[in-house]
Amino acid sequence: MNVGIGRLLLLLSLLSAGPLQAMERLKETTSLLEKVQSGELPPIEQRVPQEPELVRLGGDMTPGEQGGELRLLMGKQKDIRQMVIYGYARLIGYTPDLELKADILKSYEVTDNRIFTLHLRKGHKWSDGHPFTSEDFRYFWEDIANNPELSKSGPPWALLVDGKPPQVEYPDQYTVRYSWHAPNPYFLTSLAGAVPLYIYKPAHYLRQFHARYQDLEVLEQLVKKEGKRNWLSIHFNRDRPYKATNPDLPTLQPWMNTTSPPADRFIFKRNPYYHRIDQNGKQLPYIDSVAIGIASSGLVPAKTGAGESDLQGRYLRMDNYTFLKTAAKRNNFDVRLWKAAKGAHLALYPNLNTSDPAYRELLRDQRFRRAISLAINRHEINQVVYFGLVQESNNTVLTESPLYKPSYQSDWTQFDLEHANRLLDELGLSERDDRGVRLLSDGRPLEIMVQTAGESTEQTDVLELIHDSWLDAGIKLYTIPSTREVFRNRIFSGDAIMSIWSGLENGIVTPDNSPMELAPTSKYQYQWPQWGNYYESGGQAGEEPDLPAARELVELMDQWSDALNRQQRLQIWHRMLEINRDQMFSIGIVNHVPHPVVVSNFLHNVPEVGFFDISPGAYFGIYKPDTFWFDEVRH
Amino acid sequence: MNDKEMSAGKMSNGHFVSQDPFNPHSIETLTPAQEKFYMASQWKLMWWKLKRHRLAVICGVILALNYATIMFSEVIAPYNLHSRNSDYIYSPPQSVHLFHQGEFIGPFVYGRDFELDMEILKRNYPERLDDVQPLRFFCSGDSYRFWGLFEASFHLICPPENGTFFLLGTDRLGRDMFSRITYGARISLTIGLVGIIISFTFGIIIGGLAGYYGGWVDASVQRLIEVIRSFPELPLWMALSAVLPVNWSPILIFFGITVILALLDWTGLARAVRSKLLSLREEDYCAAAELMGAKPGRIIGRHLLPGFMSHLIASATLSIPAMILGETALSFLGLGLRPPVTSWGVLLNEAQNINVVALYPWLLYPVVPVILVILTFNFFGDGLRDAADPYK
Amino acid sequence: MLHYLVRRLLTMIPTLLVISMLVFVIIQLPPGDYLESHIAELQSQGEAVDEQKIQFLREQYGLDKPMLHQYWFWLTGMLQGDFGYSFEYDLPVTEVVGDRLFLTVIVSIATIVFTWVMAFPIGIYSATHQYSWGDYGLSTLGFLGLATPNFLLALVMLYLANVYFGTSIGGLMEPEYIDAPWSIDKMLSILEHLWIPVVVIGTSGTAGMIRRLRANLLDELQKQYVTTGRAKGLPPGKLLRKYPLRIALNFFVADIGNLLPTVISGAEIVAVVMSLPMTGPILLSALQSQDMYLAGSFLMFLALLTVFGVLVSDIALALLDPRIRLGGTAGK
Repeated sequence: MNVGIGRLLLLLSLLSAGPLQAMERLKETTSLLEKVQSGELPPIEQRVPQEPELVRLGGDMTPGEQGGELRLLMGKQKDIRQMVIYGYARLIGYTPDLELKADILKSYEVTDNRIFTLHLRKGHKWSDGHPFTSEDFRYFWEDIANNPELSKSGPPWALLVDGKPPQVEYPDQYTVRYSWHAPNPYFLTSLAGAVPLYIYKPAHYLRQFHARYQDLEVLEQLVKKEGKRNWLSIHFNRDRPYKATNPDLPTLQPWMNTTSPPADRFIFKRNPYYHRIDQNGKQLPYIDSVAIGIASSGLVPAKTGAGESDLQGRYLRMDNYTFLKTAAKRNNFDVRLWKAAKGAHLALYPNLNTSDPAYRELLRDQRFRRAISLAINRHEINQVVYFGLVQESNNTVLTESPLYKPSYQSDWTQFDLEHANRLLDELGLSERDDRGVRLLSDGRPLEIMVQTAGESTEQTDVLELIHDSWLDAGIKLYTIPSTREVFRNRIFSGDAIMSIWSGLENGIVTPDNSPMELAPTSKYQYQWPQWGNYYESGGQAGEEPDLPAARELVELMDQWSDALNRQQRLQIWHRMLEINRDQMFSIGIVNHVPHPVVVSNFLHNVPEVGFFDISPGAYFGIYKPDTFWFDEVRH
Repeated sequence: MNDKEMSAGKMSNGHFVSQDPFNPHSIETLTPAQEKFYMASQWKLMWWKLKRHRLAVICGVILALNYATIMFSEVIAPYNLHSRNSDYIYSPPQSVHLFHQGEFIGPFVYGRDFELDMEILKRNYPERLDDVQPLRFFCSGDSYRFWGLFEASFHLICPPENGTFFLLGTDRLGRDMFSRITYGARISLTIGLVGIIISFTFGIIIGGLAGYYGGWVDASVQRLIEVIRSFPELPLWMALSAVLPVNWSPILIFFGITVILALLDWTGLARAVRSKLLSLREEDYCAAAELMGAKPGRIIGRHLLPGFMSHLIASATLSIPAMILGETALSFLGLGLRPPVTSWGVLLNEAQNINVVALYPWLLYPVVPVILVILTFNFFGDGLRDAADPYK
Repeated sequence: MLHYLVRRLLTMIPTLLVISMLVFVIIQLPPGDYLESHIAELQSQGEAVDEQKIQFLREQYGLDKPMLHQYWFWLTGMLQGDFGYSFEYDLPVTEVVGDRLFLTVIVSIATIVFTWVMAFPIGIYSATHQYSWGDYGLSTLGFLGLATPNFLLALVMLYLANVYFGTSIGGLMEPEYIDAPWSIDKMLSILEHLWIPVVVIGTSGTAGMIRRLRANLLDELQKQYVTTGRAKGLPPGKLLRKYPLRIALNFFVADIGNLLPTVISGAEIVAVVMSLPMTGPILLSALQSQDMYLAGSFLMFLALLTVFGVLVSDIALALLDPRIRLGGTAGK
C-alpha cells in the first residue's frame, strides 16, 4: 500500500553504522565557527546528539551548503507560529509518504497500541545547550498536566482513554513509558501533528516560573511587574512553544526566534544544537536564519510578486497565479502549483439541526441532499473559477489516500437536472410559483439562504454559479455574507439553513488517522452542530442524533477508537466513507485545488509538487525545510 | 406732483427748498433690473448667483443626468445585472468602431476568439478584424424585471446578434462591467441622498431644539455632539455595522448602513442650526410670533428655519460625497454592502487586489463614476453655498 | 482666564467618562469576545483548538466576569496609568502602541506639512481669482485627491512605484532596515517609501483645506477695510498679507483639535492597505478581533487628545485674535 504523494524523494535512514561514519566526518558550521573558537559554543561534536538523525539526501534532493537567509512573509505577528509548523521537528513525524517515523526520538516501541516506550537520543540538547532528558517529560506530566491550577480540567484529551490518564514511568534519563489500560489511537498522531501535542517542556527553564520550584515572593514580584493576575499567567506566558513568541524559551526546532514582539520583522536563527545532520556531516538546517516580514495579508501576493519572499505559499491563492507567473522571470522566482489536501476545497453544509421545522425535515431527507448535489454544475465551476484544473468531487478522501474509491468521489456529483427535478418532485415539492421556484408544503417558496463567512470572493462566485443551476431545479439560493464568528454562531443556533466552508481538513488520510470528521463529534461541524455538541459534551448539551445513519457513524467512531489493528480501522473507515457517500451529509464541490507556491530560483530542494495544507503535511514541514539550501550567490 | 409745487416756495436768495418730506424714490429710482433683484424671492436670488458659478451649473446638470440614469438602469445597461458569460471571463473592454476598412458602417465591434495561455493561465481574446458585428439600438436583449415590477427586455443598446458588447470589459465571472456600474449607481447614489435626508432631519431637530431652548437642553446636546465628534469615525462605523443583524435582506442592510453613515454625520449640521437659532431667536419677529401664541415647533419651522435653509442645503450637498466615499470605505473593511449586492463600493472592493492592478486594470473603472460624482457634488455644493448668501 | 480654564477642565471629566462608557459598549457590541474570534481564526486555518487552554485564558483575561466588572477594572486601571493588556499581542497595551508611535507621528507630520504646502497656494489663488478657469482647474486638482478612494490609490501607487522605481511594496522602509539601528541609509530608505503614503493621505485632506482657506479668505476680502486699503493704493500682495490672510489663518489654529488625534492614529485604511508600521492597523485589527483593552485604551487616548486639542485651539485662538472672548464670563 503505497501512499503516492507525487514525489520521488527518499529519505533513507542508514543502518546503525551509518550515523557513526557521518559522526566521524562532522564538519563545523561556518557561521558558528567564530563562536566556537571564542568558546561561546562547544564544538559540533558536543552539540549534536551522540546518535544524531542522519538525513540522507538523494533522488531530487541534493546535499547542500550551509548559510543564507530565507525571507518569508506573514500577515500578522501571531503568524510567526507558522515557523513551528514549517520547522516540523516532532518526537515522531510523518515522512512524505505519510508513514510515522521517530524524529526527535531515537526510536519508540508500541505494545498493543496501549503501551508506548519512547527512547530519547543520548546527548540531545535544547537550543540553550541544556540536556534534553526524561525530566522534561516528567515536568510536563507532573507539574503542568497534573497541576490542578495550571490544568484545571486535567491532562489534554489525547492523553486520556475513557477519561483515564496513563501511567507514566521514567526508567532512566533517556526513556519514558506511557501505559494506558486500553488502546490509545490518538497518541502517536497527536505527537506528529502539525500543531503538535507537547508532552515535554524545558524543565530547567520553566522551573523558575513555577510555584513548586520558585519562591512565591519572587513570583509575586514578577506578577506585579508584568501586571498579570497570578503566577499561572507568568508560567503560561513563558511556556508557549507553539507561539514562538518567547525568545528565551529553549526549543528543539531547527530555527529559534530571536526577536521579542512587538516587531515587524522576526529573525529566527539556526538552533546550534539541532539533532539532524546530512550525509556529509553537516549539521542541519542548511539555512542560517529565517527572516519573517509582517505585511498585511492583502499585500502578500504583491510583495511576493516583487520578489520579496524566497518561499511563499501562505496568503497566495489560485487566482494570484497569473500575476505571479508574469512577475516570475523579472524577479527570479519560480511558481509551482502544489495542491490542497482538503477533502473538498468548498462544500455545502445543510444544517440538519436548523430551527426551521419545514427545512429541517427537508434537509434530513437523503433524496433532497442528493437532488441539490445533482443540480450543481461542477464542471462549469471548474472551468469558470479554476481553469478546469481541479477535481469535481464530493467531500471525501483524495485519490492519493489509500482509502480512496472512485464512487466516494463521483456518486451524486454528475450534473443531472432531470434526475434532480425528479427527486424533488418525489418529495412533494412539485408546486411552483410564478418565478418557477418550488413551494414548500406550508406554501413558502423553496428559498435557501447559504451563509458564507465572507472570507473570499471565491465562495460568493461559486455560490453565484450554483444559484443559476439550482434555479433550473426550482430552488432559489440567497448568499448571506457575514463574519466568521457570526457565521459560526448562526449555524450553531440553528438560524442557518445551509452554509459553505471547506471540506475534510485532511483528505489524504490513512486508516490510522481519526475519522472524527465523518461523524457528528464536534460542535464545529456545520452539518450537525447540535449532534456534535452532544457527543463532545458527553450528552450534557446539544441533541442526540436521531437519524439512523448519523447514529451509526457515532458507533463506528467509537469502534475505531477501540480497534486493535489496522485492518479493523480500515474497514471502519470504509464503512464511514460509504455512509457519507450515500447520505451526502456534506455536499462537496471540488477538491485537488492547486495552490501556488513561490520558490526563489536560488533555493534548492523544494519539491516541484506537494501538498500545501496544514494537515497532514504541516505545509512545508514534511518536506523538511531544514534541508532546503541557498546558492552561494545568496549567502 | 401738484401739491409739491404748491407747498414749494422760492426763498429770497433764489434757492429752492422743497417743503416735502424726503422721498428716497425721487432720487434713486430703481431700474426694472434692480427692482426685480430686490423683490425676488430668496430662491430666485440663489439661482441668479449660482448661474455665475459656471462650473457649478455644469456639475449640477451632470448630477441631474446621473440621478436620471438610476431610474432607468435596466434599460441603459446592455446586460442584466446577473447575467454572466462563461466564455468571456476577464475580457478586456471592446472598443466601438465606426469605420471598417475605410468604410462607414455605424457603431460596431469586432468579433473575438478565445485563447487560454496555459503557461500563465491567462485568457486572451484576440479580435477577428474581418468579423464586423454591428451594435443594435433600441432593441430587445436580456430580460429583466423593471424595478422588480414587471418583466421587460427593452434596452438602449444591445450586443450584436450572437456577439458580445463589453464596453468596459468583464469581471471574473464574465459579467459586463458597464452594466454592473450602471446598476451599482442605483445603490451608491441613493445611499448619499437617503443618508443626507436622515442626517438632515436629525441635525435640524436636535440642533433646533438645542438652539431654541438653550439651557440644559443645549448643554446636553452640546456634550453629546462633543462626545460623538471626539470619537474616531472608523471604530464607530465598525461597531455599528457589526450590530446590523445578518439575516437582514440586502435592502435593509443598505438602509441600515445609510442610517449609520447619517448617525455620525448630523453633528456638524446640528451645530450650524444651533448657533444660527441662538442668534435668530432674539430677533423681534420671533418675539412677535411668540407673543401671538405660536408654538415652538411652528416658530422654529415656520419662522426661523427658512431664514437659513439655503445655507443648510448647501452644506448638506457637501456632505453627500463623504457618504458615498464612506460606503466604499465600509465595503473595503468588509462591513458595508457585500457581494452579491452590487454597489460602487462593492465593485471597488473587488478591484482592490494586485491581480486587477497588474492584469485586469479595466476593473478599476468604477472609480471613474465615483470621482466624477464626488467632484461634481463638491463643485455644485460650493456653488450653492456661495449663492446661499445672495446679498454679498 | 484661569477661571475659564478650570471650568473647561471640569466639564471634560463627565465628557470623558461618558466617552469611556461609550468606548466600552462599542467594543462589546459585536457578538462574541476575543477568544471566540481567536478560535474562529484558528479553525479557519485548520488548527486544532485546545478548549482547555481557551478556558484557562478566559479566566486569566477576566472574560468570564460580568461586563460591568470588566469595565470597572479597565477604568480604575487607566486612572492608575495601567492601560490593560493586549490579548492578541500578549503584551501590555502601552508596549504594543508605543512601539509604533514614533513612525506614526513622522508620517502624520509629513502629511500635514504636505497638505498645507499644497493647499496654501491653491487656496489663495482660488480666493483671489474667484470663478476664473485657474480657480476651477486648481480646485479640481485639489478635489481629485478627495474623490479618489484612498485604498485604491494606495495600491495602484505601490504597484507603480515598485515597477518603475523598484521601491519595495508596502511598509516604510526596505525590510532589512526594520530591525537595524538608525543610520543615514535607513533614513534614505524611509524617505523613499514615505512619499507614497504622504501623497495618498495628504491629497484627501488637501481639498478640505483649500475649501476652508478659500471661503475664509473670500469672507475677509469682501470686508470694508480691504476696499479701503485698495482704494488707498495698497499693492495687492501687501493688502492680502497684511490682514485678510492672517485672519483667514485662524482656522488652522481652530483645526488643532481635529489634527491632534489624527497625528497619533494616522489614516487607518491607507495604513492597512500599505502595511505601514503605524498605530492605525493595530487599532483596526484590535477592533476586528475584539482585543478589547488594546482597542479601548487606544480609543480613549484618541478621545482625550481630541477633547484636549479643542481646548488648546480655543485658547490659542483667543490669544491670537483679540476679538474672540473665552466664554461669557471671562471678559476682562
